[in-house]
Parts: sequence; C-alpha cells; structure tokens
Amino acid sequence: MSKKKKQGTNLLYNMIAEANSYDDVIVMGRGDPDFDTPAHIVEAAKDAMIKRHADYSPPEGLLPLREAIAERVKRVNNIDVDPATEVVVTNGGQEALFLMVVAANGPGDEMIVPEPNYNTYADSLAFAGGVKVEVQAFAENDFRADPADVRAVVTDKSRSLLLVSPNNPAANVISPADMREMLSIAIEHDLIIIADDIYDLFVYDNFEHVSPASLPGGKERTLTLNALSKAYSMTGWRLGWIVGPADLMARVRELKAAISGGASIISQYAGIAALTGPQDPVEMMAEAYRRRRRLVLDALDEMGMSYGVPQGGQFVFADISFSGLDSGELAQRILTEQHVLAYPGSAFSKDRKDYLRMTFLQPEEKLREGLERMKIAMQSIMAEQQS
Amino acid sequence: MASQTKAEILRQHQSNADLNTPIPAQVMRGQNDLSADGIIRPLDERIIAATAEALESGQTHYVDVPGIAPLRAAVADFLGSFADAAYQGGNIVITAGMQEARFLSIQMIGAQFDNIGIPEVVHPGARKALGTRARNVISLPVDAEAGYLPSPESIAEALAGGCRLLFLESPSRLSGAVYSDQQVAAISQALAEHDAAAIWDQGLAVWVDDSYDSLAACDSEAERVAVIGEAFPGMGLASWFIAYIAAPEAWVPPMQSQKQIMSICTSTASQYGALEASQLYRAEGNQQLASLRQTRAGAAQLASDSGWTVLGGAACNIIALRPPGGVDAALTDLRAAGYDAADGALFGAPDIIRLTVSNSTADALRALV
Ligand SMILES: Cc1ncc(COP(=O)(O)O)c(C=O)c1O
Repeated sequence: MSKKKKQGTNLLYNMIAEANSYDDVIVMGRGDPDFDTPAHIVEAAKDAMIKRHADYSPPEGLLPLREAIAERVKRVNNIDVDPATEVVVTNGGQEALFLMVVAANGPGDEMIVPEPNYNTYADSLAFAGGVKVEVQAFAENDFRADPADVRAVVTDKSRSLLLVSPNNPAANVISPADMREMLSIAIEHDLIIIADDIYDLFVYDNFEHVSPASLPGGKERTLTLNALSKAYSMTGWRLGWIVGPADLMARVRELKAAISGGASIISQYAGIAALTGPQDPVEMMAEAYRRRRRLVLDALDEMGMSYGVPQGGQFVFADISFSGLDSGELAQRILTEQHVLAYPGSAFSKDRKDYLRMTFLQPEEKLREGLERMKIAMQSIMAEQQS
Repeated sequence: MASQTKAEILRQHQSNADLNTPIPAQVMRGQNDLSADGIIRPLDERIIAATAEALESGQTHYVDVPGIAPLRAAVADFLGSFADAAYQGGNIVITAGMQEARFLSIQMIGAQFDNIGIPEVVHPGARKALGTRARNVISLPVDAEAGYLPSPESIAEALAGGCRLLFLESPSRLSGAVYSDQQVAAISQALAEHDAAAIWDQGLAVWVDDSYDSLAACDSEAERVAVIGEAFPGMGLASWFIAYIAAPEAWVPPMQSQKQIMSICTSTASQYGALEASQLYRAEGNQQLASLRQTRAGAAQLASDSGWTVLGGAACNIIALRPPGGVDAALTDLRAAGYDAADGALFGAPDIIRLTVSNSTADALRALV
C-alpha cells in the first residue's frame, strides 16, 4: 500500500472514530442507509433459522435465489441470464466487485476507470496486479465521462472498462447514448465491461440508467454486479450477485469458491424474501431519498457550493474549492466544530481534494439539522478566509 | 466475432490448476453425504432467539470490518481457555467462513514472506486460495504413517532450507491426526530458531476428545503464530459461514484491509449467532463429542474387520480409510449404495477416502463390506 493511500484511509478511520465519540453526531459519510431492513425480510430470516439453518449452499448460491436474481435482472435491467450457469451469489456487492475485477484482470492488464469512482475498484485491481488507467470527469459537466476520452486511453494492454452507473461518489448516470458508445468502444477494442448497477433503483428526474449487458453485443463481454445492500437497506446481510456470460461466470464461480465459498444461508433466504416479496418498502425508501436529495441540494445552493447534480445514487459530490481548504481539513473542521461527518474527496482519490461527499442517508429532520450545522461551519470558515 | 480477450482470460484461468482445485462441501448435503467438511447439527433455540433479537433491534447494518467487538473477544477467550493461546480481541479477524480465513491468512500473511510451506497433503481449500495470486510455494513432504502430517523433522529441514512461513493443520483435515505435545514443541522451537512463522489450522481441534496441543500455546507473546478455524463448530452454524483468524497484532491490519476490500464485514446474523454459540459453548462445551467418539469407534471397527486400513486420527468428526480394492471402486460402490465420501486425491492422498462421522457412517460402511 502506498503511503498516500494509507494517509487517506487513516484520515477516514480517525474521523469515523472521532464521529463515534460525539453523542450528537450527524453522519453524512458512510453509504449505509438509515432504514432498518424491512420487517418481512427479517421474518423470512427467522423462519430460515428455524427450518433451513443447515441447508447446503454451493459456492454460487441457492438455486431459488439465483432464479429470483435472474427474474430481477430481467425485469429491472433487461438482462437475460440462465440462473443455472450465469449467476453467482456473493457476500455483498463488495465481494462481487472484487471477484469481477480479479476474474477479468491479471498482472499488467489495464482497467480503464472513469474518475472519480468507488475506491475499492482500485484496491481490487492492485490485488490482481493490474494497472488503473484513469479518465477524469468534473462537477461542471455533472461528472460525465466522455466516451472520446475513454477511447483515447485504450492501449494494447487494455483489458477491461469499468462502468459504475449511478456512480459513487459522483452520482452521475451514464446516458443511454454514452452507454452505447462505451459498449462500441469495448467491442471495437475487445474489452471486458465491469458494470456496477448497485444504485440502479435510485435514478432521479428524467435520467435513465441502461445496463450495458442489456444492449446488443453487451452481455457476452459484461460482468454486472448488484446487491441488496442499498436498495433493501440490507448492508449488514452481505448479499449481492454477479451475472454474466456462462463461460466467464464459470471462472467467477471458481474464484468465489477460492476466496470464501458460499454466502450465509440465512442471508440467502432473506434475499429470496427481499426479491420475491412486496417491493413497496423499496419504493418508500427511494421516495424518501428523492425528497432528501432536494433538501441537500437546496442547502448546498444556499451555501454557494457547486456540485455535479446527482442524477442517481444516495449522495452528492460537492466542489468545495471556494473554501480555500483541502477537503480533509474542511471535513475535519466540520466534524470537530459542528459534529457533522461528511467524507473528504481525498478519501476517494488524491486528485479530489476539492470535493466533499455527503450522503442522504439520514432522516429528513436530522439531515436538515446536519446541513444547518454545516452552514454554520462554512460561514465561520469563509469569514476567516475573508479576514 | 469471438472475443480474444475473453479467450485469453479463460485460458489463464483454466490453466491455473490450484484455482480450479475442487473442494468439499462446507456441510453435508443430506444425511447420506459423508463427503462434507461439516456435519448437520440442530440449532439451539437460544441461538435463534439471540440472532432474531439482534436483527429485530436493527443490527442489519454494516459493522466493524474485523468483526463485532464482543465476538472478537469471545473468540480470543475461547482460544485462551481451549488452547492456552495469548490472543486478545484485537488479534481476531472474524471471517465469512473457513475458506475466507484460509484465503486471507495465506494471501495476506503470505505476502509478508518470500515463500510459504504447504503440506503435500492438505485441505484443498489451501491450494485453491493459493491459486488466486501466485506465491512461492515450498511443498512439505508428509508422513502417511502419521496421518499424512509433515513430520517435525521434515518441517525443520524445510525451515533450514529457507522456508519462512508454514501452513499446518492439526488435526489434519483428511485424517484427523494431531501433533503431540513434544512435536508441537519441536515445531515451535524450529520456528524460533529460523525466525519463521506459521498459520495453524486448528478448526477440527474441538473434535479431539483428549487434550489438544496448539502451536499457539508455545507462542506466549502471540508473535509468530496465526490460528484459523471455524467459530464454534458443532453448534449448527456450518451453513452460516463463520470462522476466525487469530494473529499477531502486526498481521491484522493487512488482513483487515483486504477484508474491507473483499466483503466489508461478515454477515451480522452469522456474527450474533456465533456470539450466542460462544456463550453456550462456555457453559456446555462440545456435548456431542462422546457420542461421536463412539460412532467413530464403531465405524473403525467395521472397516478394519473387513480389511480396510483405518488411519489413526484424534478428531472424532471424520474417519479416513484406505480401501483394499482402491479408492475408485470404493467411491463407486458407495455411490451405488446412495452415499458420498470425500476422495483423498482432493487432499493429495489418492489411496484414501474420508467419511464424515454421523449416524449414517456405519450404514455406509455396512453397505460396502
Ligand atoms: C459503487 C459501489 N459498488 C459496490 C459497493 C459494495 O456494497 P455492498 O458490499 O455493501 O453491497 C458499494 C458500497 O458502497 C458501492 O458504492
């Protein structure tokens, strides 16, 4: 691990520890929905403990769960998969991510990564010995990664292209036109697409998310992940999946067996209940995020912060360069002075010291209070700047 | 047009023999599946109640990467009282099952050493974990007469030859054989002499009905031995995928980082279930041991009466046999009678089969002999 990376991680660990020490802290940092898991899912888990606690699960997961996943990705993402051979259940989206990156990339292989992005991709690639090739995008363009920029960095070592949409932390959604263009580039240069759809149920205004695997020629070269964590508020259950073409999925299955074996049987039965049971809790949560997003954006406007309009996801990535402070310093001051935790952009990338990530994962009242406090912190920082 | 990139990925994966090593199921797929690592056990109502309570009270969110603090403390306590080990809660990483414990320890502790010594006969999960990223592997010869454990002499030889990290099982996951107290002391001394370290899989130690000698007990400062194992086996949690790594403090951060990268944390239901199991364990210990010992002895008698060699093993949950007519014939006959056994070839011992000890083990053997 490089020294820089370590400092970023330590900064975050220290801030989280500090946040935990305040009784009145308002956490707008970690991507963990405030809602508890819907009750019918917990009930299904209890039922599984009584009746199915010792069921065997193959590394790829229980067939009924894989069937429910196949039905879901068809319904939501328009991806056709065979539950017998084209689905692997994982310990959350995180394990899915690691498996996809390690399955597709070996030592020296290049993965093209639109930045900013979820940093575990870089960490997983480092495990595989691969090389990250960045394509930068910025708030003024709502973090749109230009396909032309992607095309420009392709080399004969390019192996894979990462497409996280809606994105974390940038919250942009790749437009259908851009997604088609990204796929053309992948086909032209024979790249594997690593697609992360984990926020696909949270798309705002008139934006539209298209899974690359649903487009003609997409499925055969695309591994797509998703998870129950964000949509069903099930982060602690550790349940996700990968879907993709049978030949690559057979390799993913072996890797999954090598790093952890199956997923907990209780989480798998809970997952079946989540996917096949009533979906209104998901809609209720999505509606709440829509309202909270508005609240956050209005407050940021008041503070004079610019940001990429969050087209999807559960957060906003705001440009804080006007404060004159590095994002680490700014986040630290907001935390220490006002007991509000937001993540510094430097935790995502060394090039994002001018950004702050704020999640909408608190009840509205708390969010309002957090934003109010943040405003006070910003005012005092700006006053110092001016004097 | 077919993708060359994909063809290349498939070629690389398919040529990776370690990565493609088949491994036994973590739990029996039914009463007649005697090929699995874990046996089917009922779940104590108190585990169900405690887990349900945790979930209902909102323990459905991310928790600390290395595990919830009370479970880490409970595992450290358990290792202290059971194996006389010196670990504290901060030394423990809770993992999503035994294979994650193998993977994290072999890859992340392994990354701190130039090479790793692996017994020629070992649980295939160790080879599978090695297949995920190339390592410099030194093969440790084993002694078939000693239940396929590498002898302390061959270990000392490997260390003298430059091996700096060992992966050892005691009990052996094939035969159930264990190292004696003197052998453990000899291995410990050799490690100290060569400033080397060890990952010690003692997951099956709870099935040993005599006293058990752990290498961790010789590492009084918890400096050079990491222990891995299932969390509270025999409590019905085999399918909940919950295990641990206990390691010297300096080895924890790289495993914790990798755990964050690969799964963030272990399922809360599994952790709260294991936490309750740790309390019951303390009160009641492993109550199944006596009955398993008897079942195993009966199976051993049946097998040896019909001319099969029974390998010496101290762990009561498995029995390893050398069928006189060869393994293939024995596995075929077992399958014809409706039973599955683990092929010793998976472990590196092609003339052996391994059966889990359960109510149907004797029936399976009767069907054969
Ligand atoms: C883009 C993205 N992918 C994957 C994950 C992993 O989520 P989990 O493992 O909780 O399902 C996250 C979590 O924050 C994420 O933001």
